[in-house]
Amino acid sequence: MKAMKKTGTILCALALGLSGVLAGCGSTGSEQAAGTGNATTQPGAANNGPVEIDFWYALGGERGKTIEDMVKKFNETHKDIKVKAAYQGAYQENHSKVLASVAAGNNPDVTMVEIASIAAFADAKVLEDLTPYSQGEEKKYIPGLMKNSYWKDKLYAVPFNRSTPLLYINRDMLKEAGLDPNGPKTWEELVSFSQKLTRKEGDKITRYGFSTPVDIWFYEALVFQSGGSVLSEDGKELTLNNEAGKAPLELWSRMVKEGLMKNPPGENYNAWDVAEQDFLNQKVGMIFTTTGSLTELKKNAKFDMGVAFLPANKNYGTPTGGANLVMLAKSSDAEKKAAWEFMKWMTDTEQTVPWSIASGYMPVTTDAVDSPEMKAFYEKDPNFKVAVDQLQYGYPRPMAPGYKELQDVIQKELQRAMLGQATIAEALQNATDKGSKLLKK
Amino acid sequence: MRKAATAHELPGTGQVQAKAAGMPVAWLELATRLRPYLYLAPAMICFLLFFFYPIGSIIYLSFLDWSLINLEEMEWVGLQNYRDLLADQDFRQVLGNTAVFTVATVGIGLTLSFLLALWLNKKAKVYGIIQATVFSPHIISLVSVSMLWMWLMDPQFGLLNAALEAVGLPGYTWLADPKSSLLSLIIVSIWKGVGYNTLIFIAGLQSIPGDIYEAAALDQSPWWRTLVRITIPMLSPTIFFLLIINTISSFQVFDTIAIMTQGGPINSTNMLVYYIYEQGMDFYNGGLAASASVILLILVGILTALHFLFMSRRVHYR
Repeated sequence: MKAMKKTGTILCALALGLSGVLAGCGSTGSEQAAGTGNATTQPGAANNGPVEIDFWYALGGERGKTIEDMVKKFNETHKDIKVKAAYQGAYQENHSKVLASVAAGNNPDVTMVEIASIAAFADAKVLEDLTPYSQGEEKKYIPGLMKNSYWKDKLYAVPFNRSTPLLYINRDMLKEAGLDPNGPKTWEELVSFSQKLTRKEGDKITRYGFSTPVDIWFYEALVFQSGGSVLSEDGKELTLNNEAGKAPLELWSRMVKEGLMKNPPGENYNAWDVAEQDFLNQKVGMIFTTTGSLTELKKNAKFDMGVAFLPANKNYGTPTGGANLVMLAKSSDAEKKAAWEFMKWMTDTEQTVPWSIASGYMPVTTDAVDSPEMKAFYEKDPNFKVAVDQLQYGYPRPMAPGYKELQDVIQKELQRAMLGQATIAEALQNATDKGSKLLKK
Repeated sequence: MRKAATAHELPGTGQVQAKAAGMPVAWLELATRLRPYLYLAPAMICFLLFFFYPIGSIIYLSFLDWSLINLEEMEWVGLQNYRDLLADQDFRQVLGNTAVFTVATVGIGLTLSFLLALWLNKKAKVYGIIQATVFSPHIISLVSVSMLWMWLMDPQFGLLNAALEAVGLPGYTWLADPKSSLLSLIIVSIWKGVGYNTLIFIAGLQSIPGDIYEAAALDQSPWWRTLVRITIPMLSPTIFFLLIINTISSFQVFDTIAIMTQGGPINSTNMLVYYIYEQGMDFYNGGLAASASVILLILVGILTALHFLFMSRRVHYR
């Protein structure tokens, strides 16, 4: 008992100390707020020092370092603005932190939001309408990348690190099997190619022709290829319970049943990792994954690797992915002005070209694609151009405030169908029932 | 006795001093009564601020419909969140998973640890080494351990299936199939906890006085009777402690799920705390997350109360 009391006292002392520290943080926060408040009310104060803005980003590792370098360059060339950049974890973690900071009143001024979450953030009035700032400047961006930037006809985001899914091909394997090394163009070809690539030893499959995570992103792609859509025009209805919604599951479950496709185990990105590892280890001949992996897979592939458009069913089709830059509604006017300056600069041709080359993401302006640097880079490795070319068949990711939860519901039903817990019709009926409830919220 | 005497003397001396200072006696008595509370105040403020206030506020929040993304619109909905949760097929599965996981990890885990402790409770050096080996998973971070297990359990290239196939057994699906995923998590959890439990059991075994065993040996008691009549009853405080600690920690499993399965495939490994995280942080459903947290609080409370009710009678404290 005595020992317990003692630890209790120590804990209390610690907690009190901690609250002291927290109180300290709070006071510096309010001082800062007061400082920026002055900047807006007294025009003279702005001349005294640069406007400070916070930028929270969600890419770690090498890409994070590239972002830090870009921010440093911005600060050197813009004496009246000082950007403080901070890594806040991957998309989801950054989203949660941004929401918490908005509630606490010490939010960043610019941050990255995953494109399918823009609707939710804009609908909750967390984001600032960019229309008055951009004044038509948004026309410089590739139109195929802008479809997830609008909510209720207002501009809320500019494209930053953007991707599409691609078909990755082991060209050596295809050549060896006497197939066109440029890969299958249609779903039928995907099946027939896979038949020729799959190897069996007795009952055991030692090599699969094809593998893809049963993930919402790839499913969206196949729905678009079948001429369908995920949501109705008004975003109130799930429109998967039809031929276009069924076709992808029919293709995948048929290929799994015939032993042509591996359904990689693991949830969400764990499954992506498995698919990419299998591809590198030459256990599968073709996989779906993002353009974002191109640089890394190319570095590690010990074979002639190529990429191609996702094969077409009725037509080609692909969603886009990645994140956009947004401005927070709660920032002061001076901060917003500086924030727009920064967002505009980060996504300008001069920055997006080296960013694309360093990261593997697509360049975001039309000028960048035609720039001599980009052209030289594409000439050296045409694989990097495939994603940009595929954008002509790009569809926006579904825009609805509840889509984050809805995509989880759909994905669960897809898995149910793939693992034989439900028929394809049942799974899509379930998804529709749950989805309509979510969308009406 | 001495303590009581001083306690009695205190007011007396106080009175003398008070008279000397010209202070009314009632004031002083009040001060004496309040003094303990003054000493307790830091601890009590801590408790109120960091335990009672959050508990109260989560209960209040569980009656509101609100989203983490838009805190300005909160609406009182009474018990609607609880109704939604209990009507949800997924949430019922989550409760079921949590129950199966807890019973299996605590049941199998403690039995295994107890047997290990009986075996390892010997003086030779080799037992010390084995004990250290069994204990080592406890000190490694759960995050890295989970990643290692994920690789071991890969159905195609994992070490576990390679070992199974090497001895002619078919490979197992592990985390890939909803039928086997929960079992896989239970295995990891038992492996992680068995070392700590064994250590506590051994400490308990060593505190049992040897003369009781000597008496039993003189009476020629068979080993199983010694076990049932002496070892287990004498060990009951340890068993009781481990039972409560293990039940609560199994109920709150999170890291393994977040890294290895994220609740899947198809919700088959989703458990209460992960569900709360998912609802709150991924889907921004603050109301549902809050009411699920209250349900967790109630369940852990009931379980602990039950333990105390049924077990404490059988526990012998020396």
